[in-house]
This record gives sequence, C-alpha cells and structure tokens, in this order.
Amino acid sequence: MKLGMTGGLRRIWSLAVDGLAAMGTLLIGILMLIICADIVARNLMGASLPLVSELGALLLVMIVALQLATTIRANRMARTELVSIPLENGAPRAAALLQAVFSVCGAGLLGAIAWASVRVFTKDYDSGEFIGTPGLGTLPTWPFRALILTGFGFAAIECALAALRHLRAALRGAR
Amino acid sequence: MSPVEIGAYGIGALILLIFIGMPIGFGMLLVSFAGVAAIRNDTVALRMMTQVANDSLEEYLFAVVPLFVLMGLLVTISGVGRDTFDVFERLLRRVTAGLGIATVFANAVFASITGISIASATVFSRVAVPEMVRHGYTRTFATGVVAGSSVLGMLIPPSLLMIVYAVLAEESVGRMFLAGIGPGLLLSLIFSLTIVLLARTRWGFVFEPGSDAADYTNFTGGDLLRKSVPVIALMGLVLGGLYGGFFNPTEAGAAGAFGALVIALLRRTLDRGTFWRLLVETGQITVSVLFLILAATFFSRMLALSGVPRELAEFFLEGPVGHWGFLLIYLGLIILLGCLIDSISIMLILLPIAVPVAEAAGFDRIWFGVLTVVAVEMGLLTPPFGLSVYTIKSAMDDPDLRVGDVFRGALPFVGAMLLCLAILIVFPSIATWLARL
Amino acid sequence: QETINLTVASSHPTVIPWVGFIKSHFMAKTDELLAAKGNYKIEWNEAFGGTLYKANATLSSVEEGVTDIGWVFSFLEAAKLPLSQASSYAPFSTNNPAVQLEVMSELFETNEAFRNEWESHNLKVLGFTGTDGYDLYTKAPLNGFAALNGMKLSAPGVLGNWLRGTGANAVDGALTTFYTDIQTGVSDGVLSLALGVLPAKIYEVAPYITRVDMGVAYSGAVAINRDTWDSLPEEVQVAMIEAGKYYTKSHGEDLVTRHEAVLNKMVEIGAGQNPAVTITPMSEEDRQAWVNAMPNIAKEWADGLEAKGVPAREFMKAYLDGVRAKGEKPVRNWDDEL
Ligand code: NA
Ligand code: NA
Repeated sequence: MKLGMTGGLRRIWSLAVDGLAAMGTLLIGILMLIICADIVARNLMGASLPLVSELGALLLVMIVALQLATTIRANRMARTELVSIPLENGAPRAAALLQAVFSVCGAGLLGAIAWASVRVFTKDYDSGEFIGTPGLGTLPTWPFRALILTGFGFAAIECALAALRHLRAALRGAR
Repeated sequence: MSPVEIGAYGIGALILLIFIGMPIGFGMLLVSFAGVAAIRNDTVALRMMTQVANDSLEEYLFAVVPLFVLMGLLVTISGVGRDTFDVFERLLRRVTAGLGIATVFANAVFASITGISIASATVFSRVAVPEMVRHGYTRTFATGVVAGSSVLGMLIPPSLLMIVYAVLAEESVGRMFLAGIGPGLLLSLIFSLTIVLLARTRWGFVFEPGSDAADYTNFTGGDLLRKSVPVIALMGLVLGGLYGGFFNPTEAGAAGAFGALVIALLRRTLDRGTFWRLLVETGQITVSVLFLILAATFFSRMLALSGVPRELAEFFLEGPVGHWGFLLIYLGLIILLGCLIDSISIMLILLPIAVPVAEAAGFDRIWFGVLTVVAVEMGLLTPPFGLSVYTIKSAMDDPDLRVGDVFRGALPFVGAMLLCLAILIVFPSIATWLARL
Repeated sequence: QETINLTVASSHPTVIPWVGFIKSHFMAKTDELLAAKGNYKIEWNEAFGGTLYKANATLSSVEEGVTDIGWVFSFLEAAKLPLSQASSYAPFSTNNPAVQLEVMSELFETNEAFRNEWESHNLKVLGFTGTDGYDLYTKAPLNGFAALNGMKLSAPGVLGNWLRGTGANAVDGALTTFYTDIQTGVSDGVLSLALGVLPAKIYEVAPYITRVDMGVAYSGAVAINRDTWDSLPEEVQVAMIEAGKYYTKSHGEDLVTRHEAVLNKMVEIGAGQNPAVTITPMSEEDRQAWVNAMPNIAKEWADGLEAKGVPAREFMKAYLDGVRAKGEKPVRNWDDEL
C-alpha cells in the first residue's frame, strides 16, 4: 500500500478497514447470543422472541459485507494455483500483471455493487422497508443497507489498492 | 447468439478464469455479469448482481455457517478436538496407519457436533496433521486424510447440506439428519479400509522413509476419561437439544458454539485477546465461504436466465436414458460440477431440475437426497476447486504446503466415496431405514 | 409468425398449485389464444422454483426486469404493498378463496390506492393468487378453544397475530421447519394450510386436525414487468389479459375443491398411522370465543398505516363489504370498530 497513499492516510484507511471488520466480528458474537436467547426464551417462557430469524439472516449479510475488505487484504479469497505458482517462478512480472488484472476486475465488480446499492438503500429508506411483522415487531432495513453498501465500497477500494500494488511489482519487475 | 449459447460460453469462460487463478468469487461475478448483460442488458445485469449481494445470503439457515465455524475454532483452542483425536490415537496406536484411522473416527465423532465440513477441516488440520507428520507420515497423506474425513462433517448430523437439501426438496430436516447416520458410519468404515490398504500397498505414499521413532504421550485410563468428557458433553448438548426438542437444527450451531465457549472458559484456555482473534478468524473463513455462495448464486441465476439447465434437463433426463441412466448422469454431473463450484451452488443449480424427475422416476426422496449429498461432497476434495482442501491450506498457513499435494492426498478418499455411493445405490436401506423408522 | 422470448419465473416450485397454474393455465391459455390467430408465438424461458430469485425479492425482480413475468408474493412485501395485507389482518371473514379473489380483482379496478401500490412498481398485474383455509394441526387432541391457553403453536410471520389473545404462544418457523419442530417438541402443533401440510407430511407428527376455518388470505399476483409489457404487440397484450383472468378464476375454483380433497387425502393416508389422522370441526361458539378474545388487529393495522398516510381504513371496509356482498358472513365485523 505504498503507492498512491501517504503514511498518514494509509494509517487512517487501515484503521477504518479494521474498524469495519471489528464491527463484523462483534456481530458474530451478537448473532450467537440472540439465537441462544431465543432458545432460552422459548424453553423457559414458551414463546419465541420477535424478529430473531429475520435479524439473524440480515446480520449474516452484514457480517460478510463488513469483513470483505479485510478478507481481501488478508488474501483469503479462494482461488486455484495450478497456473499462478509456476508462472510466479518463471515469469514474476507477468504473474504480477495477471494479479493486477484480477484485482482490477474485483475492484470494478465490487465497486459496481456498492454504487448500485445506493439505489437499494434509497428505495428502502423512502418506502420505509422493514423486516418482521407489523403488530409483532418490526425493524427498519435502511441502517443495514447502509452498512452493506459501505462494506462493499471499502472492499472495492481495497481491491483497487491491491491492483496498484501488483501493477507496481509488474513495472519494477520485483515482488 | 442465443441465450443458451451465451450460457454455454459463460461456463467455458469461468473454467478458464478459475484455471488461470482468478479468485473464484470474482470470476463467477464477472462471467455472470457479462452473461446477463448479453442476454438482457447491462442495467438488468447490474441490478441482478446488486440484488444477489444484498439478498441472496439473507437466509436464516446461513447463519449457522459462522456459528459452526466459531464452534470449530473454540473446540480447537480449548483442546476438545485434540482430546478427541488423542483418545482415538491411544485406542488405535497398535493398528497399521492407526493415526490415519484415528483421524477418521475422531472426525466422525466431531461430525456429530458440527454441521459444516470446513470446521472439521480446520480443527484436524491443526491437530492431526502435525501429529501424523511427527510420527513419520507424509504430509500429502496426512492432509489428504484430514480433507477426506472432513466430509463426514456434513454427512453425519447436524449438517448444513442436509438442511439445504431439505429446504430445496421440501423434505423434513429431521428425517434427512437421521438418513445421514448410516451412510456416515459406512463411509468412516470405507475410509479406514482405504487407509489400511494404502499402508499395505503404497508405503511411500503414506510414510516418509525411515521408521517412526517419535514417542506417543502416555496417559492413563483416567486421562482417557477426562479427555472424553468435553466432547461427549458437547455431543449431548447438540444432539440432546436437537432431539429433545429444545432447539431446531439451525439453532444447534449457536447452542454448540456457546457450549464450546463455556468449555473453553472452564478450561481457562481462552483470554479476551484469544477470543477476539478467534472471532476475527471466524469472520474471514465465513466471508470466503459465503462470498463464494453469493457469487455462485449469481452464476446459477445467470444460467437459469440462459436456459442452459432446461436444455441440460431435456438433453439428459428426457432422452432415452431411463431412470437409472438419469440417476447415473445426475450423479456424474454433480461430481463434474463439484470440480468447479461449491456444494450449495451445485444443489441450487441442479435440484430444481432433478427433484421433479426423481419424483417421476419413483425414487425415494430421502435416499435421493443422501446420494446427492455424498456426490456433492466429493466436490470438496476434487481439483481445481475443492473447498475442504483450500480450508486446510489456509488453516495450516504453511507456505511450503502445495494445494496440489493436498489434492493428491485426498484422491484415494474420492475413490472411497465413489465406492460408498455405489453401495448406497445398491442398498438404499442404509440411508432410509432409520429415517423411516 | 413472429416469435417473442419471455422469461417466466417464481420463487416457489411448480408443485405449489398457483405456481403450477402459471404454466398449466396462464401460459397455456396465452399460447392457445395466440395460436388461434397465428401471428405471434411466445418462446417461454421457465425459471420456476427460486432459480432466478428467492422469496425475499419477488416484487423487485419483476419491477427491475430480472424476469419478465413472475409471481409476486405479497405476504413478504408488507412495506411496499401495505394494503395487500388487509385479509391477513381480518381473519375469520371468508373461507372461500374463489370469492376472495373475486373481491380482490374488483377492488383492483375500483380502489385507486390499492392499484397504485402495485402499479407504482413498474409492473402490470395479470392475475391474483390466494391461499386455502387455515386450520390447527396438533400433536394431541384439542378440547376446544379454552385448551389453546399455554400451548406452543408454530405460526409463520403475520399469522402469529391470529393467536394473540388466545393464550397460545406463537413459535416462529416455516413450512420446512414445522415437522421437526413438532416432532421434537419445540411446538405442540401448527397453524397452517392443508395445501402446505400434505406435502410437508406434518400430519404424521400432528395428526389431530381441528377444522377452525380461520379463513383464507390474499397472497399476491402474477405480474409482468411494465417495460416488457409496453414492448408487446397489442394482440399479445389482449391474449395475456384474458389468460390472466382465466388464471385467477381457475385458481380460485381449484383452491375450493383442492382444500377439501387434500384434507380427505390426509385422513386417507394417515388412517394406518398411530394415532390416525382425524378431523374435528371447531364449534361455532368456540370460533366466536376465539375471535372475541383477539384484540382488533384490523384496527391496529389500519391505525398504523393511516399514520403513514395510507388509506387503510377505507380499504379494510371495502374489503369486508365486498366479502359480505358476496354472501359471506365474517364471524367478527372488524370494520365496525375501526
Ligand atoms: Na455433522
Ligand atoms: Na471440487
């Protein structure tokens, strides 16, 4: 992440990505707790807690969105290495260029999702979209949408930074 | 170009992109986006992709993924996975390739508390592989055994794949769970025989040159008991809760994770920093799996829009192949797709086409589901895309370990699964008698 | 002859009667009408059963052109289709799905707010769908309404409202979880449809059917994306409108007979199991006691929507008036207290 960002900016960016990831991490714990609370409530008081299944489903989408950037940074996206490892040993600059192309594609795709999610967010916000059942308990969906859109946006930028890194390696001929 | 042609080219392009090493999720999104844009237009393609990103994972049953992963990691850190392995190691130390067999049985026991194979793969790559390597097994074989036996995690209940099948085929989850027990035990047995056979006939594949000089830790019957208690308690919690009516299959993950957390706290193996690191790790594994499911959903929707599944169904299923021809082609298609895409996506793509045909052919839906799950799970082990293998690679975090070696090690177990599949086809009652009791 | 390519999709599989009817009635009728004139032929690309989108996106998928034609499941679109929820907040009003669909079709023509909440989503409605009647399926025999007190009953989403005031506790779930939930004791029974109970085999674990006749519910519409619609030749549009009416009518009539047939079928299949499947009708007094025990959920619903500026009171009245005009006798006139 040396190219395109000065030290201070890099630190702030890094903190932001970690912050989102921490939020996602926290949500995993919360997910476990609300499901357990539902089990206890049903077995002790005889009734389900409202919204647990809807909220559980939505939390999961958020966990993925919020941790996408840090997963990309940690290079944990599944891929095959049939070609890339031999290529890296034989022609490192070509390998770096290929990785740069992949990262550009990723940045484009994730960026497109983030950009188009603005519309989803606006629509949900305007129509007052909610989960749950009126009369039994509801929650608005727009705050969740906002976080999903932020998550994909950050992931797109992280991909773009990876692309720059690979491109630099391809130009310098070193990794 | 007709939509069907676009779909077919899409499949070809995806295979190529995966082959040259593009992150699989990105490859699927890219190909699907291009496909939908060509079939309809780019506005619809963008909206579909956005809809997939926002909605496709919004399913309560997927909530079990992080919970089962978290439980897997918690039992690793608290030593429950290691203890389970130790117990079997102790019991099987005099058997040829006993550590391999111990891994299989430890996995079978562990399977009854976890619902996803990647949890099993994570735990045992950290517990069983170093121990096997210490005792002179090759790393190819050690990782292969772990990859192979990890499939038990989704055959023996609770099981995410059984839940997915039950949802798609409208079968009861409880019955599908019961249907997995017989085949799970059968597969454990076949795996063990495979290991013994390999040790007898392919010594160099299983063991490094030189003899095993490493010591086994000695422990007493009391230790054995102490090591067995936590995993038995967890099994009691998950299975007892499930069949005692305290919670449903999707909640078993949360209860299990909570139980594992309590055990880890009781054993004082968990401080705040470690717990946080575990949660972060859980998040990253969850994201890499679910992002694949997300992308695969888009891919299968692109295919549905192109009409390729319909053409395939007509071509393969309504032609002159007959009921059994259909079954063999169906299972073959699953295994083929398993090389490329993830388990849940295969089920999403094929089941809507296949279940009605199977119904018309008069097949038992539970039996059909078990065959589907076993065939789908072979995909966890086959290259170029094998989720269990990748999980082992990322859990081991060892730069010298080649993915190709793990695939090679897992190959005999793919063969064993084929054998299991054949036995299940010939003897359906192995799967159905418990479920229909 | 010109060929038109159209994608038709649904979140649910074709074994669900109203989804199957899209193929067997709507599409077949359209084909038949077009073939009679011979100018156009539709090449259908079928993507039923959730291959293109799931139940959580039935409206937006038609709206955004992911599919050309699709079944919109209004149950799950309470925010975007608020008035369409009316029948779920006025239970015990009619047990005749054909009548209910007629009323909804008429309201679509006469009630501007109702039509608008659909058409503002870039689509054209072609046909309407509803459920068959809701009853109780329990593990143990149910001795009348009073026995509900303290029971745990599975009830999906909005139907939990129907248990309020009865003393029964609603356990959330879906058709695929009920079997296990009842078998394992998570719940003592389920409030559900005969049409759903049969394929999910729930009668095996909950063989005591109490025919409460809680009523039928409006569940949505078959709709076509507006851009697609505008691009179609008039002849095709005319054929589709007629096919849509035919679909609604056939679907309503089918539900009436199918509901009885399915209940009888469960008794037949379940005769050999222990305990055998039995159907006991709930007495009129008990049905009355049930409705009286409930809070006025129609009022709560209408008040909530009126606060957001949706003319829900007028719509609820119009719906119940329509039902009564067709000779149905709601057990409680929810609209008297609005
Ligand atoms: Na399992
Ligand atoms: Na594979």
